Amino acid sequence: MSSVDHEDADIDSSLDAAGEAPDSAQATTLYAERPFQLLVESVKDYAIFMLDRSGRIATWNAGAQLIKGYSPEEAMGKHLSIFYTPEDLERKKPEHLLAAALRDGRVEDEGFRVRKDGSRFWADVVITALRDAGGQLQGFVKVTRDLTARKKAEEALQQSEESLRATLYGIGDAVLATDEKGRVTRINPVAERLTGWSEAEAFGHHVSEVFSIMNEETRQTAQNPVDRVLAEGIVVGLANHTALTARDGTVRPIADSGAPILDALGTPRGAVLVFRDVTEERRAQEERLRLTQAQEAIRLRDEFLSIASHELKTPLTALQLQLQLLREAASPGDQALAKKLERALRIGVRLSTLIEDLLDVSRIATGRLKLRYEAFDLEEAVREVLDRLRESAHQARCELHSTVSGPIPGRWDRLRIEQVVTNLLSNSIKYGAGYPITVTARREGDSAVLEVRDRGPGIPETELSRIFERFERASPTRHYGGLGLGLYVAREIVQAHAGVIQAVNAAEGGACLTVRLPLVPR
Amino acid sequence: MTRKILIVDDDLDIRELLAELLESRGFDVATAGNGLEAIELLKSMTAPPSIILLDLMMPIMDGYAFLEERKKDDVLASIPVAIITAGHCVDRSQLGGAGTIVNKPIDPQKLVRAIDSLQASAQSS
Repeated sequence: MSSVDHEDADIDSSLDAAGEAPDSAQATTLYAERPFQLLVESVKDYAIFMLDRSGRIATWNAGAQLIKGYSPEEAMGKHLSIFYTPEDLERKKPEHLLAAALRDGRVEDEGFRVRKDGSRFWADVVITALRDAGGQLQGFVKVTRDLTARKKAEEALQQSEESLRATLYGIGDAVLATDEKGRVTRINPVAERLTGWSEAEAFGHHVSEVFSIMNEETRQTAQNPVDRVLAEGIVVGLANHTALTARDGTVRPIADSGAPILDALGTPRGAVLVFRDVTEERRAQEERLRLTQAQEAIRLRDEFLSIASHELKTPLTALQLQLQLLREAASPGDQALAKKLERALRIGVRLSTLIEDLLDVSRIATGRLKLRYEAFDLEEAVREVLDRLRESAHQARCELHSTVSGPIPGRWDRLRIEQVVTNLLSNSIKYGAGYPITVTARREGDSAVLEVRDRGPGIPETELSRIFERFERASPTRHYGGLGLGLYVAREIVQAHAGVIQAVNAAEGGACLTVRLPLVPR
Repeated sequence: MTRKILIVDDDLDIRELLAELLESRGFDVATAGNGLEAIELLKSMTAPPSIILLDLMMPIMDGYAFLEERKKDDVLASIPVAIITAGHCVDRSQLGGAGTIVNKPIDPQKLVRAIDSLQASAQSS
């Protein structure tokens, strides 16, 4: 330990054992005699102490104790390296700092220092070389400031800046900020895209140059919300029918809102504008409207069809009943009358089928074909249809043959299956006129198979694939009558039962329509 | 088992023609133009009919409402009902016990078959 001179000894002794600043009586004396000494000792925010020529602690103030944690007894005589971190000691920082102070007169440093309890703090340090009047080195003065609080605040601010920045740049809406004069200070990527200005380009320009808006309908320049925000300090809500013109001329409908940026005292420091492209929103709205309208139209149509169905079938029912009764009332000997009434009844059946088909098509189109399953014998149902159409077949000079191999019990919609058989037979009668028709029904495993085969000219190869489509007629040039819906409806019914229907031309000539149905619904 | 049938349908022609048809088959027929008339007629009968043929779409009181209403009377509720309807989308959940459906246009044979089978099951119960 180097010798301490008189001055140092004086300073030494004026600190009491606990290193506290002098009490008031002492302080008054000290102020009168050694004002600077009082000053240094009293300062608590800075550690101010002297080092001897070799860097050992010679004095200690209240601030040093508070900041570094050592009492004067503990600190005195120790080398200043006790305040340094192991990493700094490895790099010989204390020595370098002292050398720099010697060389340049003073050195300033910011870095971690270590307290008595081993904890670290961020410090701002100034070491000044003390020389006497002759330039001789007497020692050093070290002033240390604990910057922990400041550093924490800086870091917190930076983090908060970072997260704000990330938020601003990450959000899906366009954000534009201006200063109190309306000049652009920040714009996020979405705003860059919508305006066509990059942040760098836009910076400093008045917002009205960058955010060029007009009324969509009148095409007149619209008032910039920022003007109102800055002038009145209020939040300006969404404006309707505003369009933004980008730098490249693209015009987009937007919705925008502006708010003032206020400082802690409530003074407007600028404005922030948030806006977005509403083109998609509009399109979605229009879609929804169209959808609602379409659904309404369908609903109205269905209602109409339901009423029409009832209204058409009521007089038809009465008509058929009347004809039935007339036929029963006709005397057995009157063949001519009986035949006429038979014809009338057949016409009634045709009319009924046409109406059913027409209504079915509409039901199918709107997904309303509902099946009503019941247990019945397919063989029996086929027989009934054959009986009903026998006369028609006879009229068309088609002999009806049927091969049924026994009862085929299962669960289907009876009415609809009879409709399928009717439609297939009617089709064969129409296109295979003059030729025999064979109907077969049989079981195959867990399926029922129905075949209607005629010996007519068959279906043209080009038509085979389309024969089950709506309004398809195999021979458009010749008028075969009907709406061209019979096979389409038959297919829909078969498929609704999870079955398959197929048309092929038989090797022996003529067409063969085959229906395969599961015996019971799966 | 009586051979009495009640026909409930809002169309006059259908009522008359069905009546003629069924009478020719040996039935006794009574008719009503809507559900309300049917209820009133049924209540005034000394002996109830063995079958009710019921249309669904009628004014004042439709078929569904008639079925609801007749539940209140044990005798009426016990008469078997066959639905005759032109509509294809029948709301089965509202039909109560009336499971038999004959679609318009009416096939006389089917109708008679339905009536016979209803009577048979009513007799056996």
